Amino acid sequence: MLKVTNLHASIDGKSILNGINLEVKPGEVHAIMGPNGSGKSTLTNVIAGRDGYEVTQGSIEYLGNDLLELAAEERACEGIFLAFQYPVEIPGVSNMAMLKAAMNSMRKYHGQEEIKAGDFLKLIREKADLVEMKHEFLKRAVNQGFSGGEKKRNEILQMAMLEPKLALLDETDSGLDIDALKTVSHGVNALRSPERSMILVTHYQRLLDYIVPDYVHVLANGKIVKSGDKSLALELEAKGYSWIEGMEDTAAAVQQAS
Amino acid sequence: MITANENTSWITAHADVALSGANIAWLNQQRKSALTQFEAVGLPGVRDEDWRYTNLRALKSNDYALTSASSLNIELADTTNPRLVFVDGHLDQAASTGLSDSVTSLKDSLEIVEAHFSSTLPKKPHGFTALNTAYAHDGYVVHLKSGQVLEGVLEVVFVSQSADAVSHTRNLIIADANTQCTIVERHVGTHGTVYLNNVITEVVAGDNAHVDHYKIQQESNDAFHMGGVFINQAKGAHVKSHNIALSGLVTRNDIHSNLLGQGAHVEMNGLVIGQGRQHVDNHTEVNHAVPNCTSDEYYKTVLDDHSRSVFRGRIIVAKDAQLTNADQQNNNLLLSKDAEADCKPQLEIYADDVKCSHGATVGQLDPVSLFYLKSRGIDAKSANALLTFAFANEVIERINVDSVRQELTQIIAGELLSGLEELV
Ligand SMILES: Nc1ncnc2c1ncn2[C@@H]1O[C@H](COP(=O)(O)OP(=O)(O)OP(=O)(O)O)[C@@H](O)[C@H]1O
Ligand SMILES: [Mg+2]
Repeated sequence: MLKVTNLHASIDGKSILNGINLEVKPGEVHAIMGPNGSGKSTLTNVIAGRDGYEVTQGSIEYLGNDLLELAAEERACEGIFLAFQYPVEIPGVSNMAMLKAAMNSMRKYHGQEEIKAGDFLKLIREKADLVEMKHEFLKRAVNQGFSGGEKKRNEILQMAMLEPKLALLDETDSGLDIDALKTVSHGVNALRSPERSMILVTHYQRLLDYIVPDYVHVLANGKIVKSGDKSLALELEAKGYSWIEGMEDTAAAVQQAS
Repeated sequence: MITANENTSWITAHADVALSGANIAWLNQQRKSALTQFEAVGLPGVRDEDWRYTNLRALKSNDYALTSASSLNIELADTTNPRLVFVDGHLDQAASTGLSDSVTSLKDSLEIVEAHFSSTLPKKPHGFTALNTAYAHDGYVVHLKSGQVLEGVLEVVFVSQSADAVSHTRNLIIADANTQCTIVERHVGTHGTVYLNNVITEVVAGDNAHVDHYKIQQESNDAFHMGGVFINQAKGAHVKSHNIALSGLVTRNDIHSNLLGQGAHVEMNGLVIGQGRQHVDNHTEVNHAVPNCTSDEYYKTVLDDHSRSVFRGRIIVAKDAQLTNADQQNNNLLLSKDAEADCKPQLEIYADDVKCSHGATVGQLDPVSLFYLKSRGIDAKSANALLTFAFANEVIERINVDSVRQELTQIIAGELLSGLEELV
């Protein structure tokens, strides 16, 4: 499904990703962990097509095609969804309006008819129930005045509506209380299928108790320095990052900074 | 000064036209002194500080004539509201509904307005204002007697249909104590027609009166709109002025409020949507003359193509006007590199115990918001349109009369959301 090969990316001339290799097959869930500033969000942003990053080397293949050729909106239409680490507030555009525009834009891209107003309403209510979001949130401006947890829940609602093939969840668990974590995980698990792949960026192994990954990768200094299965997350929880080979630079950098 | 190379012969020709109320002494007196004022200042030019950014060359290169009454030759959308229709500045009785003891034409109520005519005007009016006083021939008058509520919404449509016509229209809203009214003024014309609409609305709001005034400008793309809304507010009066400019070639609005009684509150909302070579110049002025008044100004501009806007927001807090609370926001969104917005907040505060805040921004759509929408599969054009609409609609959301708000939302959606209107 997704094949990232030797990916180097920089921002304003500053190199942030330094040779990422990652292959995700249909139905797989990959967790990416790693210290602050190691490049996790950058990786998901580059996959989703955010402006401002320069890919200086390497490639991303998605469903057999060159992903880097596509604009962000085309990538979304081809099934890539990014749940933002910091969801954006959009005053003046309601959740409903945005999702309707999104669904219809995607349908148009695939040469399909627009969704009927009644069908849309039914669908969005059903998905709101799935993530236990009160229906009044649907009429509110996107994320405006939402609490941190409500914003994250809203990301999962959008994912549930848009039914991506590849979901990138960037710290969707951060800022969630225990109950919300369960609900959000339940929402995510409901979307797991043999065709749908996911990349979960997280700092906490706790999330991985609820959404059990097939692989866990550790990102440091813009590189994957270790990969393993679920047990790697447990090991990280117990020992921190310092024992991993390739982490020395980070440790040194942190020490220098402090 | 009227200089030799300035073509004002069309104004001189006004003198030959019989004006209503020619035999009324006070009116003649006002007209005479306004004419003297006009002769002293002439039509404004870029040398005038208040007109620096607004070039009137195109306006001045043409001649305009006062027209006689003609009947409406364009179709107006149906409405369930009472509606007055003016054609080239003359009331079209046949097309109008809603005339009553309280809602009349200026021509028919010159006696009623004597005490108020020009009472709200700036002390040093510019040339167009002076001309308006000198040659006002008609307009609407809403006169509410103490305690009276004008139910529903009164619409007044000013249609300009004759090429090269000029109308000097004077409207008065005289709202005595404890009255209430909502008035929607529309200015429409047929694209391609050149004309000059010089229109002033005076609002005299008595103690605790509530006046909601909407001005929706949809003039011809080749027309000139010189507008004034001048407000006097007594104790506890609440006035809302909404100023929406959607077309016209050159538009100038002077929106002033004098807060003259304690507890008065004025809200000024404005929205400019500029396209093509449109130019809109809004000059607002809030004069906090007494203590304990509040003012809240919210002007937004969306400029595309080569359009330009000017915003000058003046707030004056007099020495005695303690506990004033004044806020002014002006946000400009530039959609094209050729568009230009000039904004100039001007605060003159002579009292010490006041709260005055203001903010002005000029910028583009937020790239992070755009990426967010695109990452949801929304194509670039729609994402731009949605965010632009949302920006503009924040002004419309301040309208608390449901029917007016909904209608304006539809109008703005039509301007900015083509193809996506069903989203709102
Ligand atoms: N726009 C930018 N300009 C300059 N540097 C940037 C920019 N965006 C990201 N960076 C830098 O790139 C590095 C990687 O950032 P990124 O957000 O990918 O980290 P992360 O692994 O997601 O961290 P966290 O766990 O804190 O979310 C950081 O050092 C960050 O400061
Ligand atoms: Mg991050």
